[in-house]
Amino acid sequence: MLETIEVRGPRRTSRPFLQELSALYRATTGDLAYAQTHYRGTTLLLFLHQLVARAHNQIYRPHRFSLRAAGNFFRQEVPRAVREHLQAVTWSAIIFLLGTALGISAVQFDEHAASIILPTYVLDSIYSGHLWTGSIFSVIPAPVTSTFLFTSNISVALIAFAGGLSFGLITGWILFQNGFMLGVAFKLCADYGLLGALLTFIAGHGFLEISAIIVAGGAGFTVANALLNPGSHSRSDALALQGRSAVRMAAVSVPALVVAGCIESFISPGEFSTPFKVTLGLTLGGVFWLYLLNSGKNPR
Amino acid sequence: MTTLSSNWDARRTDLELPEEIDLQLQMANVGSRTLAILIDLSLCGLILFVVYSLTVLFARDTAGDFITRISGHALTILLFLLIFGFQWCYFFLFEWSWNGQTPGKRLMHLRVIKADGTPVSGIDVLLRNLSRPIDTFGPMGLLGLLMIFVSRKAQRLGDLMARTLVIHETKIDWSIFDEIEASGTAAQGATAISPSIRLAADQWELLHRYLNRREQLQPEMRQRLAQSLYDNLRPLAKGTDLERSLLPPEEWLVELARRT
Repeated sequence: MLETIEVRGPRRTSRPFLQELSALYRATTGDLAYAQTHYRGTTLLLFLHQLVARAHNQIYRPHRFSLRAAGNFFRQEVPRAVREHLQAVTWSAIIFLLGTALGISAVQFDEHAASIILPTYVLDSIYSGHLWTGSIFSVIPAPVTSTFLFTSNISVALIAFAGGLSFGLITGWILFQNGFMLGVAFKLCADYGLLGALLTFIAGHGFLEISAIIVAGGAGFTVANALLNPGSHSRSDALALQGRSAVRMAAVSVPALVVAGCIESFISPGEFSTPFKVTLGLTLGGVFWLYLLNSGKNPR
Repeated sequence: MTTLSSNWDARRTDLELPEEIDLQLQMANVGSRTLAILIDLSLCGLILFVVYSLTVLFARDTAGDFITRISGHALTILLFLLIFGFQWCYFFLFEWSWNGQTPGKRLMHLRVIKADGTPVSGIDVLLRNLSRPIDTFGPMGLLGLLMIFVSRKAQRLGDLMARTLVIHETKIDWSIFDEIEASGTAAQGATAISPSIRLAADQWELLHRYLNRREQLQPEMRQRLAQSLYDNLRPLAKGTDLERSLLPPEEWLVELARRT
């Protein structure tokens, strides 16, 4: 009987079947309680334990996945989690910008500082006066690059979230590193007269992409904060509690990064006008933040 | 064996279900969990290897015709998606849809459940698997192993965060219960004639397990076990007709089983 319901699920079974199951379940728990008192350490007891555990699994099952639940997840739960931990998101943004500032000043002091973070082919193309992006996107078709970009970006975002478990060290390092890279690239391009080109290139996707990484970093810091300042809870309780909202924050960065990755490879290198790219980028980034800050505020 | 006593009935209803019992679950040990992970990873690795070889095969041929190039690109996309999927989605999707099991866990009879005994939900599984880069993959796996060793309920960091446990589902030897049901009806008449003998639960179980397995034992082993059981159980038959019975040990045990 249990096998039937494990295979089929409760929806596809009849009402009498379920009633019988619950009656049997109650009878078995009674048997188990009796056996625990009178027959300690026998196989029978073990068997009853297993039977009850399996039945319990089927009787108290969590809600199954539904579109409504998924909609609710993104419409209400995610933005609420982000608003709750806005402080962590702010810290994450601060560290990212700190990285950028340091990147800029590092190149200001010594141009060769760029070589520690940017790969050689990028440096070569900047020195020779082009953006490195042109050569990549003209050789490899856009669907391939977009897949590569969003999978690697999502990996970065999710590791930034998981890094919270290292008391935020890994999260902080990832944010700082990405910010630093951006700063170095900016300053170097500016020095070689490519600033306009670079800005045009990232205008379409940059805002959304950086926002998503920062939110994921915020999720990581939320976890780290639970470990470092558990407050009135025990550390593991705080972790379980905050982890729940943190994972929602990390989840929102996934669709955002998919969109950003597609724009980066389909639109950014293409022959679109600069105003179009700027508008698109600002709109997407703006919508992303408006959504996070306002959606699901007044539940019915 | 680490056992966990959980106070089972966190959500009692008005019906007052007779559920206020301690349910003991067997925690999965480090070895079986590591093995389950290794099985899962080798499965992923195998699939990746096949796709990667195909990709390399197609991509080498850049001057090829249109179809070859398109399928080469499609394979490359597939490869990226697979690498990503195996790293982030494989455990999540399997544990979600298979109620806490992945192929590796299923082979090792492991299952992920919530710490209060209920099945895992999507968000629990997401939480415990997103933390894998910190405590499972690569060198960080050592941290996960250490956590499983030291933490009281064998939880790694991700388990702590999602409040989940990995339990071992023991295969139960159903056969002795089947046998009894079958013989129970047949023995009804016999017990009416001779007075029944009371055995303690563990003695009873020992007796039945022996009778059940004796066909598979080697002859001399079978004799020896029967003799030792006979010696141990003999005093219990005091005051009944079995005490004076002159049957050889094995037959005597069968008789005893019929009278309990």
